[in-house]
Amino acid sequence: MSTLCALPLASVDFTTLPQQLVNGFLLGAIYALVALGYTMVYGVLKLINFAHGEVFMLGSYGALFTSWMLGFGPGGNEALTGSWLTLVIMLFGSMLVSGTAGFLIERFAYRPIRNHPRIASLITAIGLSLLLQYGGQIFLLQGGKQAINSKVNPFADDLTFNLVKPDPKLAAEAATYQKRVDDAQVAKDKQFEHESDRFNPSAFGVSLEKTLNELKESQSDISNKANRTAVTLKIPKGKLIMLTAILGLMFSLWYLVMKTRMGRAMRAVSVDFNAASLMGINLNTVITFTFILGSTLAGAGAMMYSTFQAAPIDSFSGAAPGVKAFVAAVLGGIGNIPGAVLGALVMGIAENLVTWSGYSSYRDAIAFVILIGVLMFRPGGILGSNKVEKV
Amino acid sequence: MKTFSVAEWTRSRFISVVVALFFCFICQLAFGGDGLKIYLRLLFSLVGIYVTLAVSLNLINGITGQFSIGHAAFYQIGAYTAALLGSTYFKPMADNSSLLWLLIAMGFSAITAGVAGFIVGLPSLRLRGDYLAVVTLGIGEIVNIIVKNQKSLGEAYGLSTAKYESTVFAVVLLAIICIAVSRNLLKTSHGLAFLAVREDEIASSAMGVNLTKIKVTAFVLGSAFAGAAGALYAHTKGFVGPADFSMDTSFLILTMVVLGGTGSITGTTCAAIVLFIIPEKMRDMHDLMLGVPIGVAIGIIGGVGMLKRIQDTFHGEGNVRLGMNVGAIAGGILTAYIASKLLCQIHGLQTMINGQLFRMPVLAITLVVLMLLRPQGIFGHHEFSWSWVQKLFGKRPVPESEVAS
Repeated sequence: MSTLCALPLASVDFTTLPQQLVNGFLLGAIYALVALGYTMVYGVLKLINFAHGEVFMLGSYGALFTSWMLGFGPGGNEALTGSWLTLVIMLFGSMLVSGTAGFLIERFAYRPIRNHPRIASLITAIGLSLLLQYGGQIFLLQGGKQAINSKVNPFADDLTFNLVKPDPKLAAEAATYQKRVDDAQVAKDKQFEHESDRFNPSAFGVSLEKTLNELKESQSDISNKANRTAVTLKIPKGKLIMLTAILGLMFSLWYLVMKTRMGRAMRAVSVDFNAASLMGINLNTVITFTFILGSTLAGAGAMMYSTFQAAPIDSFSGAAPGVKAFVAAVLGGIGNIPGAVLGALVMGIAENLVTWSGYSSYRDAIAFVILIGVLMFRPGGILGSNKVEKV
Repeated sequence: MKTFSVAEWTRSRFISVVVALFFCFICQLAFGGDGLKIYLRLLFSLVGIYVTLAVSLNLINGITGQFSIGHAAFYQIGAYTAALLGSTYFKPMADNSSLLWLLIAMGFSAITAGVAGFIVGLPSLRLRGDYLAVVTLGIGEIVNIIVKNQKSLGEAYGLSTAKYESTVFAVVLLAIICIAVSRNLLKTSHGLAFLAVREDEIASSAMGVNLTKIKVTAFVLGSAFAGAAGALYAHTKGFVGPADFSMDTSFLILTMVVLGGTGSITGTTCAAIVLFIIPEKMRDMHDLMLGVPIGVAIGIIGGVGMLKRIQDTFHGEGNVRLGMNVGAIAGGILTAYIASKLLCQIHGLQTMINGQLFRMPVLAITLVVLMLLRPQGIFGHHEFSWSWVQKLFGKRPVPESEVAS
């Protein structure tokens, strides 16, 4: 299935496609929060912040430790269940942790070398990312991979939507088979009441048992066939709440960037760094603010990724989402805020479609393939300007 | 300016080739023999392989200025080519004659890796700086993921092939060839074109430099050497697996180039030797208490902060400045020592930690500290030269024009 020479899309099941698209959309919404950080930092500093994935990782640890403090840690009270408040506190915990991390990284690693060539900042970013991954392995990974206790999320039950009903003919057949199975069960039970030895029945009892098993088998066959014609959509309630929260965060970001003084300063800096500073904008404040804003959003994304997607956490868990979010930012047009959201949704859906078509071992490669494709054919991204970068 | 004479040129070339072969032979005698421990022999071979890798990446990164961070991909392609050919089509040959097959395998691997380098070099025509970095990183990952999913390449288990007692001769030979090609390139007008591309693409293309040709040549040359190094690696270890060529390998090679000084062959070579041996030696480090890394981190932050402050604000005499720098370093070490001693008294920080975990953080800290204090690398753009050695011993400085001829 996973070799390249096998028939492509051999294992595709189109009835699960809507479910995969919805899952991809929800995953993409989380990536969008991370991609916003990449795109804003790039817009202001023209720097690819490679350490952003590690800020994300620190955010998920923030959520994990907050949940432990609230009593969901190892050895905590078994009967405890979460509520709205737990989730909100965890969200703020992870946002606080990653915001602080972003601030420290900007202040002590990027600011001192801002006037050096850009390659120096890039190498620093790679170094920081390695440092946080492997340094985190020393300090954070004492007990192997961690996961947030699933009981913090009280909204785990699914909302089910039946998009297409099962084929009526097959469904009717399945119902008749169900009836025959029931009859056979009754007949067998009746016979077995008269048997002296339950485990060594008479010839009639054996034949009844055999008929029952055969019927059961064909019934499950038929009902599986019927179910495969149906299209159902299952969305956990928690993920809908998550989507609402993401939309809220994005709206506040839009308000912050478009309607406030600080947002105007950010936009000015992203248009022209030097001219903005001549106009009396304090560059250090704006850049620090941008880093904190982007990292906070990454922290929110990390909390959602580890709580609602139940992703395990270790010190390397930020790398893969970080790369995907970066590709999303490039895909949408780096430096462009709506573009980052759009790119992230495309990335989330693309990732789920790759899994759906049976190539799940290539799931992490799709990000790089998309990246190379975008950079080769439309370097500006979907919504960005199509200007080729000049020296 | 001395006049150019063909006879003298031939003689000097002949002498250098003989000396290089003699050096390989000496190394083979000193490190490749059976008398030595197997571990030391392996270490020496791997150091040689990493010198080749670092110098070949330097050709792309330092000399041509194309920031590539996916060098492990070419290394991997070379290693898998040699392992696949040596365990299938050329199995009798690989099993019987080690040196001959090594040379042939190096040729094959260099060709496949060079073709891969040609393909990767093409995007570099349109991309610059950070974008090229990300694309090369991505290509490295894609190569690794594809190899991991190929049945014929052993999937995640890897391939095994003939393991040779000693590959020291070939390793040293390859390293010398790689260094010689880089050095000789810089001495010719072709090399000047590479340097011009690094300094300013637009200006150099206005001067008539063929950007496409230069960039692709750099990628093909650099990756061919990496591929040949991969062939040696496959037969040194006798086994190749995808985990040996992960992103970390690329970052290790990158750190070597950056630490030595981007563009400096001498610096890259020295950095490759040091940076390979230190993490290897750290493999048998003792377990440490959790307080120690925290204390060391505090010391590093303090020391680096002071050094940076001195560098930025103090513009006094050289000697005073040197004294202040030494003081800052000593202060940092002292702080690290005291802080780790004190922190180890705290009960919560007495957990023991496996010493091996400190290998990669050391690399990462090297990168970050280097960028903060000396972004051009330890050697900068400088190269080793005999006139420099003479100056060191108090001889009068030789004028540039005489050195050049």
